[in-house]
Amino acid sequence: MADQALDLNIGASAGRFVTPALRQRIESIVLGTATIALLLVVWELLPHVLPIQQGTRLFFTVPSRIFETLWQMFATGTIWAPLGVSATAFAIGLALAIAAGLPLGILLGRSTTLNAMFDPFVTAFNATPRLVFLPLLMLWLGIGLWSKVAVVFLGALFPLLINTHEGVRNADKLLINVVRSFGASGWDVARLVVIPNSLPFIMVGLRLAIGRAILGVVVAEFFGAQNGLGVVMVRAASSFDVNVVFAGLIVFAALSLVMTGLVKLIEGRTSRWRPQHAENE
Amino acid sequence: MPAYIQARNVKLTFCPPNRAAVTALDAFDMDVEEGEFLSIVGPSGCGKSTFLNVLLGLIKPDSGEVRIRGRRISGPGSERAMVFQEFGLLPWRTVQHNIELGLELKRTAAAKRRFVAERLVSLVGLAGFENHYPHELSGGMKQRVGLARALATDPDVLLMDEPFAALDAQTRDLMQVELLRIWREARKTVLFVTHQIDEAIYLSDRVLVMSKRPGRTKKIFDIKLPRPRAYEMRVAPEFNDLKLEIWNTLKDEIVI
Amino acid sequence: MQRHRNAMLGALAVVLFLAVWQAIFLVVPLNPLFFTTPKQIAAGFIDLVESGDLLHDLAVSAVPFGLGLLAAAIIGVPLGILMGWRVRIGYALDPLMTVFYASPLVALAPLVVIFFGVGVSGKTIIVFTLAVFPFIFNVASGVRAVDRLLINVVRSLGGREWDIYLKILFPSVLPYIVAGARIAVGRALIAVLVGEFFAASEGIGYAISRFGDIFAIDRMFACILTVMVIAVVLTEGIRWAERAAFPWRASQ
Repeated sequence: MADQALDLNIGASAGRFVTPALRQRIESIVLGTATIALLLVVWELLPHVLPIQQGTRLFFTVPSRIFETLWQMFATGTIWAPLGVSATAFAIGLALAIAAGLPLGILLGRSTTLNAMFDPFVTAFNATPRLVFLPLLMLWLGIGLWSKVAVVFLGALFPLLINTHEGVRNADKLLINVVRSFGASGWDVARLVVIPNSLPFIMVGLRLAIGRAILGVVVAEFFGAQNGLGVVMVRAASSFDVNVVFAGLIVFAALSLVMTGLVKLIEGRTSRWRPQHAENE
Repeated sequence: MPAYIQARNVKLTFCPPNRAAVTALDAFDMDVEEGEFLSIVGPSGCGKSTFLNVLLGLIKPDSGEVRIRGRRISGPGSERAMVFQEFGLLPWRTVQHNIELGLELKRTAAAKRRFVAERLVSLVGLAGFENHYPHELSGGMKQRVGLARALATDPDVLLMDEPFAALDAQTRDLMQVELLRIWREARKTVLFVTHQIDEAIYLSDRVLVMSKRPGRTKKIFDIKLPRPRAYEMRVAPEFNDLKLEIWNTLKDEIVI
Repeated sequence: MQRHRNAMLGALAVVLFLAVWQAIFLVVPLNPLFFTTPKQIAAGFIDLVESGDLLHDLAVSAVPFGLGLLAAAIIGVPLGILMGWRVRIGYALDPLMTVFYASPLVALAPLVVIFFGVGVSGKTIIVFTLAVFPFIFNVASGVRAVDRLLINVVRSLGGREWDIYLKILFPSVLPYIVAGARIAVGRALIAVLVGEFFAASEGIGYAISRFGDIFAIDRMFACILTVMVIAVVLTEGIRWAERAAFPWRASQ
């Protein structure tokens, strides 16, 4: 913004191939990629330029070695088993969260009484890091799939619940009246107004839920599991195999980005009717 | 012979939480003839929009009755349709699908719905915009969609609740001309609520002035101007005389 | 009235829940090794408070929590302003920051703890790493959302860069900083807990896992509930402050 002086309009440059909007996009992509590339290069070259202490050397690694490790893990297939275990817990937990969160969100959106009664619990659980329940869950559900699923479920449930609720509550009363004036039944109202209106909110909730679900898998596997990519990472950390830790992080990060990217894509497709995109969180 | 639409002794009180009860309408009487264009003007809060909602069937009066063609109104019905001040278009539907809304709810076949929608899109002058979304349209265009939607179910009565209030003055004037053109073709009974006396006189056969809250019929004016109404009539002396008369009736009811 | 009604319904729901919980034991024979009652939790809580253990553990955890958050704010806010204000810097750093924000950086916690040890420094770094990004993103967002018209107004009245920062930018961005703090607080809590679960000898997270190990469920619950209360107080407290201080902004 400081770079653009009193700009009252980015003048239309009709007829030119590279419009200002296109130039902006190219610039942003180029700068973004360049920065990441630069960072990686600097990191790679760092040990050649700076002397690293003996103790730190144990922990220090460079991008090339990380990617080598990552490549190895895929090439030798050693990654698939733990990844599968993590993915299973993630999928089950997320699925349960959707199955519970969406209907509950709709219910709470429609009944102010129920909403008022659930509110203290929802607020309390949403504000609390799910991690705090992990020792308890491990006690109850043992070390294994189900305590992981529980942590994932708790993490993913609340964004879905809260955002669905918001979407239902947000339905324009005017539109409900309009539709009722044409003779719509309660179910018609839900179908024609409430659900289409809630969809964007649910998408946002889903994006948030995915991020939290991945976080849930990672922390649950750190402390309360024997199998999974997180377990691999934690064991690697204990044996100072830093490359594996970073490789695992990259895998989780990539999964998170891909999935939220997919949701954003669907969001974009189903949101053509919105004048602008409002982001929550 | 009873009037086409008849309201007798309608009383309606709202009880909002945390506030005193508000009587919107009290002993409200009104007759509307078939095919006429009747405007209702009144001060803010006099209950004119409330009455329209009663006619629409979304609110039930506490006492009194409203009949259309002799039958009591007990809920929404396809012989009445409303055009809303804030347009009320479903933002996730295209123009065409918005127009088809009422027909969908009547379970009309898809082909017939499309046919009716296409005809109406032309009627209201929006040909070419069938696949646009509401947020891509101007205010005037949105309201034309609202009008087309209301006409799609072929109601006998059009209820219009300050439909042009959200538009700028120039668009408003043009929309009034458009409305009269469409009304001439569609031949509906229209109840038109407005704040603007000019608008009421220009459009209507009769103008009903309501008292301040609780609303009652204060006086009814016959508008004897010839049809079709030309824009020039707005500056004619008869027009201004009427305007002054109506204003004098109305101004005592207004509370600033 | 509506608000009071809602609050009462909420309180009623909580009371009902506690009552049912307490009563379940009379009906279903649950293993005391794995379950406990509100009464016992309360007793355990009082115990911990009286012995000073609870306060001690909380204090231990609070240090890296507070330090990390402070560092996150001190570094995150200016960085966010820079990213939002200088468009090109925003372009350059945005993808990088997005990757960091989206990655479960908590996965690096074991490395940090092993390298820096289980004390304050290790935990503080983890807290900082997790808490800095909400600040960066929210503040950048806030800067980008500043009404350009206002900037033009100040410029047209002869204001200089500094005037813009002080009179327009800062008040506009403040709500976003607070919102960022709200999110950062949640992440900081996670960071502290992760650090303490992994390897610690003190702190509330350690207390929870230790009580779990020895099946002292009542105290475990007491600690968990304490953390819950603190989390709610902090998060909702900030939310309330946001509403009070910036009533024109709908809290996200």
